[in-house]
Amino acid sequence: MNSLAIRTEPDSYAGRLASRGDLTSFFMTVTAEIGADCYMLVTIQHDQDSNTARIIASNWIHDAIELAGHRLIARLAQSPAAMPGTRPRSIVPQEGSGGSATMSGEEAKLLDVLGHSEIYSLGVYAGGQHYFLLFSASDTGKIIPESLTQAQLRCCYALSQSPALVGVVTTEDRLSQRERECLSWVSEGKTTDEIALILGVSGTTISNYITHAIQKLSANNRAMAIATAIRSGII
Amino acid sequence: MTNAAKRTRSVGQSSGEHVNPFGDVANRANPDHAMTIPDAVRRCRWIAVDLNARGFGLFVIGPALERQVLSPCFDAAHPGIAIETSLIASGDKSEIVSHARMSSVPCWWSDEKAVPGTFPTLDWCQRIEPLAPGTSGIAFPVHYGRKCGLAVFFGPDIALEPHSLFDIHARCFSLFEAVMRLRPGSAAKIPAISKRELECLKLTANGYTSDEIARLLSLSVHTANQYLSNTTQKLNAVNRMHAVAKALRLGLIE
Repeated sequence: MNSLAIRTEPDSYAGRLASRGDLTSFFMTVTAEIGADCYMLVTIQHDQDSNTARIIASNWIHDAIELAGHRLIARLAQSPAAMPGTRPRSIVPQEGSGGSATMSGEEAKLLDVLGHSEIYSLGVYAGGQHYFLLFSASDTGKIIPESLTQAQLRCCYALSQSPALVGVVTTEDRLSQRERECLSWVSEGKTTDEIALILGVSGTTISNYITHAIQKLSANNRAMAIATAIRSGII
Repeated sequence: MTNAAKRTRSVGQSSGEHVNPFGDVANRANPDHAMTIPDAVRRCRWIAVDLNARGFGLFVIGPALERQVLSPCFDAAHPGIAIETSLIASGDKSEIVSHARMSSVPCWWSDEKAVPGTFPTLDWCQRIEPLAPGTSGIAFPVHYGRKCGLAVFFGPDIALEPHSLFDIHARCFSLFEAVMRLRPGSAAKIPAISKRELECLKLTANGYTSDEIARLLSLSVHTANQYLSNTTQKLNAVNRMHAVAKALRLGLIE
């Protein structure tokens, strides 16, 4: 296979992406190489009672995103979420099988009408954050499963080298050392007074640190701040 | 594909050439298959064989930013500990630790005496301070969930064929996933928490107050609070924040 030979040349993964334009053409190339029609890069947000997807890059048509909705996209992304090395499987259930854990039969039909008859979700790690990469094609069997691991690692490498492009705001930079310290004590179940004793400062100071941390993480309360901090690997 | 075909053929002929049972991603054993640390060491040894590396080790990087250490999981001398592993695990490793936390790009180092350009395939990657002296080596960052690790391979004659980078790194990822699945595998230790209790805890983690949870799940506030204090007790936590943190770290909620 000719395309395989091109893909394994060292130069093909050395390239840094300098702009959003580069990012788009990079994804277009990878999408074409694996035989897919569409790509979508998302992260998952936990801010509601269910997860929603934040779309970072995609060539899905606007209406398809609108109709599928961010919650279904989040479910698609998270369903098997294969990291490199696990064999990826298409997440759209076979016709007539009446749906799967990820989606109902109607949702599968909707995606099929929208031109996403087979969808693969791949986990990508870059810039200290997990992303999900959805590759889809209008006909089942178009995507070459054997080429997905390479595509996945190439995306890991490319995004790792230009994390700023995909809008990674490293929360760890935003929190001060002291704020992080306080949060990690809160996550150990310590009360404000206990933390004040441990760190040898007044309780008011500790409360202030925690309040600032909650604000910076745009959380509603302590529990949410803890959850956000653990999810993003700060503590 | 041709590689896989070649390997399958040589299994049939049982020729002298080494046959790597984990060599092909497509033929990989079921990841859910129960694995033990010796299995993992064997799998890692096969990766080392393909890299012509003499030594190897799998390290786990803890989540606490203050502690920039590599904790050894196993190495080539399993069940013992190789000298190199102690060297890698000691000293200031902040460079490689923060790299692995932020990126999936492999790192490499090279012995001064070795011919320049040990790894032409990795020219674009970061060159690091030698993790083990007198050798050349490659370190592959690996990630599974919130867990982060480093698969290290080294030896005087280590070589990376241009075509095998993706395959080797993918196998490192898969190995790390298998090891991380088996580590907290003491299922007995994870307390049985009901679906309803988990629902409440998940909503708490997402910033909802008891009142809001009660409204969302059509419960009374007392019931919601009861669920939450049950969970807190079951997780052996002192308060809600602690329970949320424990549940997240145990993977009970995402």
